[in-house]
Amino acid sequence: MALDNKILDEINELKRKYEDERSCLLPALYLFQREYGWLSPEALERVAEILNIPKATVKGVSTFYAMFSHKPMGRHLIQLCTNVACMIMGGERLLDILKGRYGLEPNLTTPDRRFSLVIMECIGACDTAPAMLVDTDLHGNLTEENIIGILERYE
Amino acid sequence: MITVTINGTKITFVKPVTILEAARAAGIDIPTLCHHDALKPYGGCRLCLVEIEKVPRLQTSCSQQVSDGMVVRTETEKVVEARRAVLEFLLINHPLDCSHCDKAGECELQDLAVKYGPATGRFAESKRKYPENFEDPLIVRNRERCILCSRCVRMCDDVQGASALCVANRGSKAYVEPFSGGRYDCEYCGNCLSVCPVGAITSRLHRHGYRPWLMEREVATVCSYCGVGCSLVLQVRNNSVVRSVPGTDPGFNKGILCARGRFGYDCVNNGDKLSVPLMRRDGELEPVTWEEAITHIAHRLEEIKRDNGSDAVAGIISGRCTNEDAYVFQKFLRGAIGTNNIDSVAGLAYGPAQRFFERIFGQGVTANYVHGISNSDGIFVIGGDPTAVNPVLGLQIRSAHKKGVPVIVIGYPGGLKRFSKHTFITSSPAETVLLAALVSEVRQMKSFPGERPAFDEIISGLQPVPLKSAAEVGRFGLNELIDMANTLSNMTNPSIIIGRDIVQTSTGHMNLLFLAALAYLLNGKVYLLSELPNEQGLLDMGCQPDMLPSGRPLAIESFRKRCEETLGIVLPSTPGLDYAEMIEAAHVGKIKALYVMGEDAALSLPDTNYVRDALRNIEFLVVQDRFLTETARHADVVLPALSWAEKEGTYTNLERRIQLTRKAVEGEGIEEWKIISEISKILGLDTGYRDVTDVFAEITRISHIYREVTHDHIAGGKCMWPYGGGPLRHDAHIEGVDLPDIISVMKNSEAGGVHVRREAHLFHSQNASRFSPALQSISPEPYVKMSEILADRLSIRSGDYVKVSTEAGSITLAAYRDPCLPENIVLIPPFEKGGIFEVTKWKVNPLINVPVLDGSRATIGE
Ligand code: SF4
Ligand code: SF4
Ligand code: SF4
Ligand code: FES
Repeated sequence: MALDNKILDEINELKRKYEDERSCLLPALYLFQREYGWLSPEALERVAEILNIPKATVKGVSTFYAMFSHKPMGRHLIQLCTNVACMIMGGERLLDILKGRYGLEPNLTTPDRRFSLVIMECIGACDTAPAMLVDTDLHGNLTEENIIGILERYE
Repeated sequence: MITVTINGTKITFVKPVTILEAARAAGIDIPTLCHHDALKPYGGCRLCLVEIEKVPRLQTSCSQQVSDGMVVRTETEKVVEARRAVLEFLLINHPLDCSHCDKAGECELQDLAVKYGPATGRFAESKRKYPENFEDPLIVRNRERCILCSRCVRMCDDVQGASALCVANRGSKAYVEPFSGGRYDCEYCGNCLSVCPVGAITSRLHRHGYRPWLMEREVATVCSYCGVGCSLVLQVRNNSVVRSVPGTDPGFNKGILCARGRFGYDCVNNGDKLSVPLMRRDGELEPVTWEEAITHIAHRLEEIKRDNGSDAVAGIISGRCTNEDAYVFQKFLRGAIGTNNIDSVAGLAYGPAQRFFERIFGQGVTANYVHGISNSDGIFVIGGDPTAVNPVLGLQIRSAHKKGVPVIVIGYPGGLKRFSKHTFITSSPAETVLLAALVSEVRQMKSFPGERPAFDEIISGLQPVPLKSAAEVGRFGLNELIDMANTLSNMTNPSIIIGRDIVQTSTGHMNLLFLAALAYLLNGKVYLLSELPNEQGLLDMGCQPDMLPSGRPLAIESFRKRCEETLGIVLPSTPGLDYAEMIEAAHVGKIKALYVMGEDAALSLPDTNYVRDALRNIEFLVVQDRFLTETARHADVVLPALSWAEKEGTYTNLERRIQLTRKAVEGEGIEEWKIISEISKILGLDTGYRDVTDVFAEITRISHIYREVTHDHIAGGKCMWPYGGGPLRHDAHIEGVDLPDIISVMKNSEAGGVHVRREAHLFHSQNASRFSPALQSISPEPYVKMSEILADRLSIRSGDYVKVSTEAGSITLAAYRDPCLPENIVLIPPFEKGGIFEVTKWKVNPLINVPVLDGSRATIGE
């Protein structure tokens, strides 16, 4: 896996920031996920190598966290909340909309690799429930009417 | 003082212990699952809950420490109820397939469920389902049975240091797996198998063939793969070894084994082993009776001795033979044939190195406890990766590193990659320059200990070499080198661990001198890695061309005379040929008869073609071995021998600890010492041994170092150097040590090109691993490792096939890229076919008489 210098620079920056290499692990995984969209086995191996951490340990850590994906993802990641507040406000019905419009189901990716969908248990936006994250953008007060308009902005 | 009351019993401790330990000390049993004595407390399974007065909730006794005045109860109604509930939870997902689980009968969960568990579970939900994973050649993984105690992961991380396992995912979807999710691709120590309380990880070798209650015998013996000599227990049924497990008592490996000890036992049962003697008739090896074979051998040896003199006969013995075999073999060659032409694999590196250090520091200087390594304040490793050569010794280095002890590695670090901050890989002449520079550096920082003025003088006479020159020659960063030299100079009782790659080079004699200087200046303990289980024993038994038993030089007439009187035989007084000299003499037809005991000479020396030619040139070649090895194929007579599991005897390990090997199964061959005795008898020397203890008794009469040793002493596991007597360190004999001409080494090391170096291999340990299907299955294909820079330059990806050529020959190997290698080094392990010996030219370092591996430059192509 060839890495561009930018990501290597960022990792070196991390190494400077933290006392030991283990502490860089989560941020480094974030970096790789941001760059490649998901954490492939090669990416995990690369992180292990750069940080001199056993690769099985890296795998144990990265698979523990739901925020890391170990399957190829679409260009945009939709994280839709269906926890209590969002559910009461109609979050679950939004799922049907996504399925109807894009054929998108939880934990899957659209065939054109445009969107991937993950169901979240609370994204801390209960005040604007139902809500979702698209990549790093928060969208609240979703309705069956406005959700498609929002998503169409992501190519 | 801490006094606690457990179930009404008061008990006092000086140091804090866990409640579990306290209870055990009081004879109270608390059930546990995630706890294991070899591992740190984890507190994960909640089975060991106990009630503590004034503490509202139940506490895990395995992780909670006692405090003064604590009142603990381990069997209250609340505790029993909680325990039952924990088991009920564990059984929610655990399949009830005990009937065909290999662990049944020794499963901790099964036992606990019987003892404490509820009769039925209340969970109606269906169980978690995963297919069993058979992707690995040796280890079967069953995720359904896993109770996530994490003992395997902690074993692999904290004790083995391989960190090959993880708990992947979380919650009810969590399971244990290696990185690939399929094959383990790890060190295959199998220590995770030992600690798994259930049947979630099991060995494929005895799948559905192991039932603890059907084992007929358990035989405590010693591993025969390497010079560490771990204790192991062979479990036997129907005259076959079904499983090998680590011994705990009196073993010093404490429940740990490496891959070879764990899985290599299948070479005992290998169906290809020889069962009848073979003799060459009309060019073909044909079965004959023992009597025919033995008479023929005696007759031919007699003839050759008569026509060409005793010194036309020679003998080579393997480091897998026992002390008794070795002793009788040398007695036969000396007493019955009349030659000192005897040597062994120990003569290729271990012996010469030991001899050098003993010359300077006295006999026994390398007899240091393996356990001492993790207690030293620094570790200096050179000449081979200890985690591959002597794996269980290697773990000591890893554990020292974890304690913060600095580890310096000169050479390919292999399994120490994550365990050393100072690694320096270069060509072998540059290593010598580096050592010279380190000695110069340390000398400036430390004053002479003054114990050996003659050695002080030698060290003072060494040419100083600046670190800067070493950095240039070795292509190291100067700052890293300075950092390492400072670290080294600060050590006050380091372990200096030396492998054979530093000896088997053109500058091996210089390396030994520099290492001795470092050991002297730093107050270091020297450890010699030993690839075979009884290299030390062979030296002690006198299987050396110029030494009699117990390392007494043949040249000392008084000792020779004493031996002759005790044994009633005449010993030849001129030194014989060593291993390398024998091969050279065979080449020019000076050796007419060669008796090879258990050694695959054709495949354990550099320059396979040269050695094969030498073997072909021998008029009468006898090979005593368990299998038809490459060397045996050249023989005139082949005699089936016994494996270490099929006979009684003793081994002396690299610490010079003497240990018993015990017979576990009946073999089809005859004990080596017995065969030799028979031949010896025909030649007129009747040894008169009835059994192996007679041989041992004679050894203790002859050898002044083994004099005090008894079998009881050995069986106790503490038969440590210097055995019964006082230390035998005598004064140094350092006259005649040449001062090395380091300047010419520096010049020589500047020549460019790619150096081929040997990589010690964990799964390939000379002739025994070749006959272990299990070990062969792990890494069957020979390879060459190279740097990324070189690989990029030649556009080679990992897995591509490349041709490696030197003046000795060329081989095609799978290539692997290894980022830690420098550009001018490639590594090739000693595989049987496609191994390093095929591309190393025959060359001997005449100062220590060992065939060397350096000197050939390689071209890499295609
Ligand atoms: S066999 Fe040894 S190295 Fe491999 S996973 Fe098990 S404990 Fe780790
Ligand atoms: S595989 Fe065995 S040792 Fe490892 S976590 Fe599961 S039950 Fe425990
Ligand atoms: S370290 Fe050596 S003696 Fe111990 S199990 Fe491994 S090969 Fe056998
Ligand atoms: S043994 Fe104490 S929690 Fe598992």
